[in-house]
This record gives sequence, C-alpha cells and structure tokens, in this order.
Amino acid sequence: MKYEVVIGLEVHVELATESKLFCACSAKFGADANENVCPACAGMPGMPAVLNKKAVDLAIAASIVTNSEIAPEITFDKKNYFYPDIPTGYQITQFFAPICTNGWVEIETSSGKKRITLKQIHIEEDAGKLIHDPRTRSSLVDFNRTSVPLVEIVSNPDFRAADEVVAYLEKLKSLLSFSGVSDCKMQEGSMRCDVNISVREAGSSELGVRAEIKNMNSLKAIARAIEYESGRHINALENGTETLFQETRRWDDDIGATFSMREKEDATDYRYFPNPELMPVIIDEAWISTVRDSLPEPAEAKYERMTIALGLPVADCKIITGSVNLSRIFDETQKHFGKPKEIANWIIGDLLGIAGAANTGDDDIVIDCEKFAKVIQLVSDNVVNRGVGKKLLAKVMDEGIDPEAYVEENSLGMVLDTGLLESAIREVMAANEKSVAEYRGGSEKVLGFFVGQVMKKMAGKADPKLVNELLVKMLGAD
Amino acid sequence: MDYFIDDSIMQKGRPATAGSKMLANFISPLDATVVTRLKTLANTEIHSKSGTDEFGASALTLEPSDNLPAAVEAVKNGTASIAICNDYTGSVRLAAAANGLSYIHPTYGTVSRFGLIPAASSMDQIGVVCNSLSDGFSALEAIAGANPKDGAMFPDERYSYQPGKSGIKIGVPAHAAKDPAVSEFVKNFDSVEFELKYFDVYSHVMLILCFAELCHNINRYDGIKFGHRAENFQGLDGLYVKSRTEAFGFSAKLAAIMGAFVLSGENYTLYYDKAMRIRRLIKESLDFGKYDAIILPAHSENDPLTRLAYTALPQLAGLPSVTVPFGGGISLIADVKRENTLFSAIKEAGL
Repeated sequence: MKYEVVIGLEVHVELATESKLFCACSAKFGADANENVCPACAGMPGMPAVLNKKAVDLAIAASIVTNSEIAPEITFDKKNYFYPDIPTGYQITQFFAPICTNGWVEIETSSGKKRITLKQIHIEEDAGKLIHDPRTRSSLVDFNRTSVPLVEIVSNPDFRAADEVVAYLEKLKSLLSFSGVSDCKMQEGSMRCDVNISVREAGSSELGVRAEIKNMNSLKAIARAIEYESGRHINALENGTETLFQETRRWDDDIGATFSMREKEDATDYRYFPNPELMPVIIDEAWISTVRDSLPEPAEAKYERMTIALGLPVADCKIITGSVNLSRIFDETQKHFGKPKEIANWIIGDLLGIAGAANTGDDDIVIDCEKFAKVIQLVSDNVVNRGVGKKLLAKVMDEGIDPEAYVEENSLGMVLDTGLLESAIREVMAANEKSVAEYRGGSEKVLGFFVGQVMKKMAGKADPKLVNELLVKMLGAD
Repeated sequence: MDYFIDDSIMQKGRPATAGSKMLANFISPLDATVVTRLKTLANTEIHSKSGTDEFGASALTLEPSDNLPAAVEAVKNGTASIAICNDYTGSVRLAAAANGLSYIHPTYGTVSRFGLIPAASSMDQIGVVCNSLSDGFSALEAIAGANPKDGAMFPDERYSYQPGKSGIKIGVPAHAAKDPAVSEFVKNFDSVEFELKYFDVYSHVMLILCFAELCHNINRYDGIKFGHRAENFQGLDGLYVKSRTEAFGFSAKLAAIMGAFVLSGENYTLYYDKAMRIRRLIKESLDFGKYDAIILPAHSENDPLTRLAYTALPQLAGLPSVTVPFGGGISLIADVKRENTLFSAIKEAGL
C-alpha cells in the first residue's frame, strides 16, 4: 500500500517591536529574569491593555509579504488559560477577527515549485517562561517574554514531505526577516513551530488521525521529527503496531523520537470572548499602503540585483541573501567601499570563516561596516597583505580596533623592500638545502613551502606575490 | 476638600482589596489616574478604607445585602463630601439615593480606568457619590479626560460640566410612568411616554455579561504572584484551587462558575453572544431625538432582579446618568457625553 503524509504548520513568530504588545516594557531577548516586567505584564489588576500600534504595522507587513487578504477591522479576544506563564489567566489573541486570511507562500524543492496556502495569521501575546528545578521540585517564572507580540501563521495541510516544510520555514524566515517583521531566530525562540501531521492512503481524500508535535525550534529537528512521526503512523496503519489517536506529542531530539503529552486538544474549551478593554482597530487602505511603501527590499530582489546588476557569483549571492544580517552588512559596507565583488569575497571568504570558527551564526554577526570597508581598502591599496587583512578583520570583530591606527601602531604595513625579502629568501634557502635541491630536481610543489617559510620570517607582512616572484627567480638561478 | 476613594481604585502604598480577601495583602505599587489627578487639586485630603463588597459584585448574587457601600457610607457620615468608586452593578447609586445622596455615572470611556481593579470591563466606569451635584460635577471635571494608559476612551482631554438651558424633555418608559417618584418628578417637565424595549431582559443581559467579564478578570488571582496564596497545597492545580477556595467569597465564586458556564462551548451562542446582541439592540432602540433624558425609578425596595434592571441602562449602553434621592430615588439617563443635559434637568427640578 502507498501512503501519503499530510502536514500543516502553525508557526509562531515574535514581532520585532521595541516594546511589548500591551505595555511599554522592552520586548528584547536576553535580559536577566524578570527585568522587563511592569505591573501590567505581571498581570496586576488595574492595568488596561493598550495596543502597541507598531505590532499591527508589522503584522500588516507579514500579511503583505504572504499575499494575504487583510481584514478591514480587527478585534482582540481573551482566551482563558490557567498556567503560571500567563499572569492574567487569559491570553489576548485574535479568535474572531484575525488580521488576515487566505495568503500563500511559494516554495521550491528538488521536485519543483509549489504554493503553500495559509488559513490565517493572527496577532497574540507570548507567554512567559517556566524554569523547572528538579532538585527542589519547584518551578520559577520569568515574565520577560510575557506579552511580547507574536503572529501565529496557520497554514493549510498542504505539505506532503519534510523537505517542503523546511523549504517553507526557510522561505518564511526570509520573507519575514527581510521585511523587518521578525528576526526569526529559531534558537532564541523568536520563530517556533507546531507540526500537525497525519498519514493516509495515497489517493484518499480523507485525512488520517492527526498528531500535533509542539514547539519545534530547529529545522533539523523538524525534519527528523516528521520522518519519525510519519514512520510511526505508517507502521501503525500497515502493521497494527499501535492504535493511533488524536494527540499532542513532544519531540525528544536526543532520543530521536516523539512522546505523547496529552490526548486530543479539541476538547479544551478556551472560552474565548471579545476583550472589552481593546477597541476594534480599523485597517484602511492608507495604512496598508504606508506599510507597503516602507517595506525594505526583499531577498529575491536583492538576489537579482546582486547577480544581474552587479554580476556576482550565484553561490555567493545565495549565501548573502540567505541572511538578512549578511545582506545588511553587504549593503552597509558598500557605502564605504565601492567594489561590491570584493566585499562579497570578503564576506564569503573571511567574515564567515572567522564567525564560523567562533560558532557565530550568520544572523548574529556583529561588525562595524565602516571598519570592515577600511580593512578591505587597506588590502586593496596594497598597504597590508591579505593575510594581515584577515587578522585585522578578526580584530575589528572581536575588539573593534581601528584598522588604520592598528596597522600603524603595530607596523603591519606590507614589506615591499626587495632587498629585505631577498636576504630573507637567502636565509631560508640556506637552512633548507634539501628542499632547494628537490625544487631544482623538478618538484615545483615545494615552492609553497618556501613561500610559507619566507612569510613566517617576515612575520606575515611580506607581499606574497613579490615573495613568489623572487623565489622563482632565486631558486631557479642556481 | 475631603475625598473618599473606594479601595478598588489603587493608591500607591495603600491596600487595594476591592473588598476581597484575595487582595487583603495587596498594596498598590502605583496611583490610579483618578488619584493622580485629584492630588493635583489644592487642599486635597484623600481617605480610603477596605470595602466589604467583593469586586462590587454582591448585587449579582441576587442576595439581599444590608451592607452600605463604603463610598456611600463615607459621604453619609461626613468623612468626605465626594466619594469615588465603580458602580457597574448599580447598587451604589441605589444606596446613595436611599441615604439622601446623589450619584453621577459619567459616559463610558470618559474617566480613565488605569488603576481601577477591573470587574466587568465593558461596564466598569468610575463615578461620583456626592451631597450636591454641583460638587459632584466639579470633582468629575478634575478626574475625567483622555489618558493614554486606558485604550478604550474618548479622545477629549477635558470635560466641562455645567447646567445649560431649561426646557429639558423627559422620556418616560411606559412601565415606569406610574411610579410615584417618577410621576412626581416629571410633573414640572415636558415629557413623552415611550416603550423602553427589552427592559424585561435587562437584568439577564447584565448578569450574563458581568459574570463572563468578571470570570476572566479574576483569573489573575491564582496565588502565584500576588494576593492570597494557600499553604500546604499539592501541585499547581492544588495551589490554584486551595488559594481561590480560601480567599474568594460567594460573589467571586459565583462569577467564576457562571462566567465559565456562559462562555463554554455552545453556551457561548446561547448566552453570551445572545446577551451581546440584545445589548446592541438596546442601544439601537433608544431615540434621543424624541427626548433629552430618560427617567427610571432608583429606589431599593424592589426585588434584586428589578433593581438590577432599573440601574442597568447606563452601563449597558455606555450612557451618562445621575441618580438623585428625589422621592426615594430616580435616575435620569442622557445620550453619550450629554452630562450637561442631566445637570440642567436637575437644576430645572430645583434640586
């Protein structure tokens, strides 16, 4: 029998506002526990919810980039929810009139292009975080994340395989991060995903029994979880290994399996009702146009501009436009240095290398682009060689040095003095007679060894091109 | 000038209990907007004391209550000449009239609710108990006006309350025309009888909406962050159940249960949604082109459901009203932001 896997996603994305959805507290990630908390987001009485308009701006932007139909009037509702991470005992969300419906996102996988349709996007407040301490058998609550604005993007069950899900999440991340809606950092929880998955006989129009895997926050884990879960379902259908029922499951990445958390969710009655503290919000064409007009360049347009107008290598452009942060660094650096091709080279070859060595993700690289441009300029002007340039770049990233001053202070300027280089080469040749003989015997590959030795002798500051030329001449001279 | 502030309105450093044991140990970290505004007036003395009517909800239990609302008591015994409170069930205005005092319920959304412990948010409205309406309206002038900390307000920064022209036309609901206080009051006015539609279900609509909103608003009292926390509990649910069982009185427990009931599953359509639809019809049924103000009895000898019904219209429709101790109590209700019509009518009546 042939089976078909049917998947729908609910993606939660934190909106990139300065402040929370209903109070003035900072919405930034990474503060000390309960640092960004006021009486309102601690759930104290007497604090009417006041809507952060910027969150609506960003939700409108999310609606635009997902080709959705924006509602002319939106409302907010209360969802009854007793758990310590929601201090008011209700979550403010949009149940009756979400910001938009009927959107779509186009994805591309090895089997071609496909349109994923969206049921709706709604705005809601995030919950706080519980930290469980098994030793004291107690739990602590951190309200920093409480009331941070989110959009929940609900897709229709349009996915048929894990690679489609991954492509969709990557596309969403690109759309939302390039439009400034969210930084979409899965590892920081600003993009999280619930996976609804079922399996049916191929050709059937009825859906199978659904499992929901909650709170996934890495693409790799999502792909693995889908593989595992669809395998479990097929096994159950084919071999009767277990009886499937509608349930919520949890993915354990270490074990590589899902585990049941609770039986079907539909029975939960959230007792939604319109929040009387928040007036309906009218979204007119003028508002939508203002948001549309202020949207930054999307990744695809940037990619086209880089490949076609600037003629940069396709592979490099894919990497750079794969991250809103790298794209920003690319654009920003261009303001200070006029050769985009070299900038792209430096980003791909050096910046990413240094960041990778420090385990810094593309989105988390922090660099002063003016200083980055200066480093490239110094190398381009032959003031320092490329190796020294790379070291300067690392120093700019780590310590924020001023590259020009640093070169001056540490006399890192490139050594172009032929006399100095020749005497260094002579010393190296004298110390490595065997290798000299090898070279002269026809083994040209030892040339690299000599270059390395001379550079070392010159503390890395020599002009490698010149060293190469002189070596060829002197080694060949006999 | 001495003011009394009901303890459902938060004052920095003072207990704010809203009459509930749940908040017996809750000291407010800030001043409500109305308190901040009162403090800017010269020679202001602010009094308060812990109330006994839990979340002001006792009227919703339909049980008889002999307790005088703290706001009424404070003006009656001379502690203050003005008392400020949230009379969303109407029980304060009835008690005020029964004790020779007046009550002003301003238009919904003209006084900031920042710092008001919420009960039924769509009806919560800070109002004024007073000896004289002139004093009451000048106190209201001090506290009313838009405030960015409350997102459901009219944009007007300030309101000016003063009696205007005479010749107010009073609309008399047919079913209330025979009430002695009503008929006596309208004698000196141009008046017109009309049918006050849906009056027979006013109290039901009130109960359903108040229970639903109160139920959500008291969810926050769970023993976790502030308020009463039970000792010796078992697990999270144990903490919730024990804390709430110990600290909530009958009003809050009833609201929690009834609110959950009217919002659950298909009851949402049967009760809550239907009540909201009727509420809209009630608003739409009024025609302030035919009369300037509506008169209703406001005396407390009626049964609890009738009492609720007689005081429900201002909250259900977000309208301003004044209640005066005329003949045991009458209320006048005007169109949105037409407090001055009410002020004029009371002056015209020579009160």
